[in-house]
Amino acid sequence: MIALFIDFARRFARNRAALVGLFLVLVVIGVAIAAPWWFPRNPLRIVGRPEIWPFVSPRYPLGTDSLGRDIAAMTAYGARTTLLIGLCASLTATIIGITVGATAAYVGGWVDELLMRMTELFQTIPNLIFVLTIVSILGQKIEYVTIAVGVVTWTPIARLTRAEFMSLRDREFVQACRAMGMGSLRIMFGEILPNALPPVIVLSSLVVAGAVLFESAVAFLGLGDPNVTSWGQLIGDGRTLIRSSWYICAVPGLAIMLTVLALNLVGDGLNDALNPKLRDR
Amino acid sequence: MRRIIIRRLAQIIPLIFAVIVMNFVLIHLAPGSLFDVMTSEQQITDPKMLDQLRHTYGVDQPVSVQLAKYIWSVMRLDLGYSYRQNAPVFDVIVQQLPATLILMLAAIGIALLVGVTAGVLASIKVNTIWDNLISLGAVFFFAAPSFWLGIMMTVMFAVKLGWFPVGGMRTIGVDETAVGAVLNVMHHLVLPATALGLFYAATFARVMRASMLEVARLDFVRTARAKGLSGGRVVMAHVMRNAMLPIVTLLGLQLGTMLGGSVVIEAVFSWPGIGSLLFDSVMSRNFPMVLGVLVLGSLLVAVCNATVDLLYLRLDPRIKAR
Repeated sequence: MIALFIDFARRFARNRAALVGLFLVLVVIGVAIAAPWWFPRNPLRIVGRPEIWPFVSPRYPLGTDSLGRDIAAMTAYGARTTLLIGLCASLTATIIGITVGATAAYVGGWVDELLMRMTELFQTIPNLIFVLTIVSILGQKIEYVTIAVGVVTWTPIARLTRAEFMSLRDREFVQACRAMGMGSLRIMFGEILPNALPPVIVLSSLVVAGAVLFESAVAFLGLGDPNVTSWGQLIGDGRTLIRSSWYICAVPGLAIMLTVLALNLVGDGLNDALNPKLRDR
Repeated sequence: MRRIIIRRLAQIIPLIFAVIVMNFVLIHLAPGSLFDVMTSEQQITDPKMLDQLRHTYGVDQPVSVQLAKYIWSVMRLDLGYSYRQNAPVFDVIVQQLPATLILMLAAIGIALLVGVTAGVLASIKVNTIWDNLISLGAVFFFAAPSFWLGIMMTVMFAVKLGWFPVGGMRTIGVDETAVGAVLNVMHHLVLPATALGLFYAATFARVMRASMLEVARLDFVRTARAKGLSGGRVVMAHVMRNAMLPIVTLLGLQLGTMLGGSVVIEAVFSWPGIGSLLFDSVMSRNFPMVLGVLVLGSLLVAVCNATVDLLYLRLDPRIKAR
């Protein structure tokens, strides 16, 4: 087991960009965890004069926004929201995707047909429009944003899982399980799934990056949870002041970009490490 | 060929049907309806009047009847009446649709031009500084949120340099000729279309590079070289043509995302399209309009996907419809 992990780590580390990505992701996670200690008071509280530029006042290293709120504090707390929504949405998408894909491939027949039609349906609906609809109908709560993003991003995972299951379901070891009298659910999730998982994990890690972008767009439009700081919301708030203080938009935008970039790089690294056969493509 | 087209188009029908039913269910999950907003905006409190209004708009009927009525009316392209614009939903959407289509087409154009060129360049100069620079650029634009890119471009090119307008679709209050009007719209189009297109350009560049390298290894390319064709001709006429196929697939798959992305970009550049309409409707709980945009948007994507599939059939004669 440990040897396997070392092998995995070595292959991951061979991709330099992935190491940089991993470092950045760890930094973002660190900031997200440390935020309450670093900035013990409510980040949405007004602390000083409005529109102080970054690197001017040592008390507010990243400046203050139009209301005089500390941008550094809001960005740090924004990391929590962004990561939380990204991870939970990706988890939602992965659970839906694996369930749908595995069932479709394992059961086959009309169930497969029906589930794949459903996947096609969700692929056809313009995804951001769907998210905005769900959020506007159910309400501007962080849970609903998470669920909505999960609901529009599960389709590639379902397709991939289905393809993997298709190639695995008639192998000898599965037939052996069947001959032993194992139940369908146990074969699906206990035997086939672990073998089908590596490419699915890679895709889920990329879905996290996509989810972060979705969340930021929703929050930017002012449809996110108003009681939670998020990077997209900061950009949306700062938008009216681009003539005088464009840094209010620039700082959280850079944070989004670096996070998504890092997540993508980690995804590529995972791909190299988990699917060594595909590496040269 | 005709049978294939008809069969492909027929697949759209159940899809749209499902979209309609799903949206109807979603709308009924909503706490508070447009009816509530309408009556509160007009300050109607008289219970008798409320009952009468409920009856007029059919809100008092059972859900199944409302659903059946809704499906029937959508089939006649009657998406309901928008109390906010005081016009049929369908008319309002069709009126706003051209602006969004122009934006999307321009973005697709920029994405294809930039993405394919970059991909081809990277594959020709594979593993050189050019390749690395292009890959680096692709990674960055793949990660940058389009609305943020739009804002930063506005700061740079509209506020600081003053090259392009900050927003809108045409300069207000200018009397001009047809050519002038087109140029005016194009001038307004540059920033939003670039902001929307660069993300897709990054995707296309990555896919194009990989696909070029893949195709360049095939036998027919060696044959082309062996018969003495110049390097440029081999790349342009033989490798590129075949390497474009995955791009076409990708384009079809991403149309839906692009329609969503244009919502945000329209909000940034106050572009008067479907996105601004949807945004306004979501804010005012104008559900018939939200539903209408969702249904027509899905229909648009479904039709475009079918077109791409048929196009694929033309581009790659090896694929025969099963």
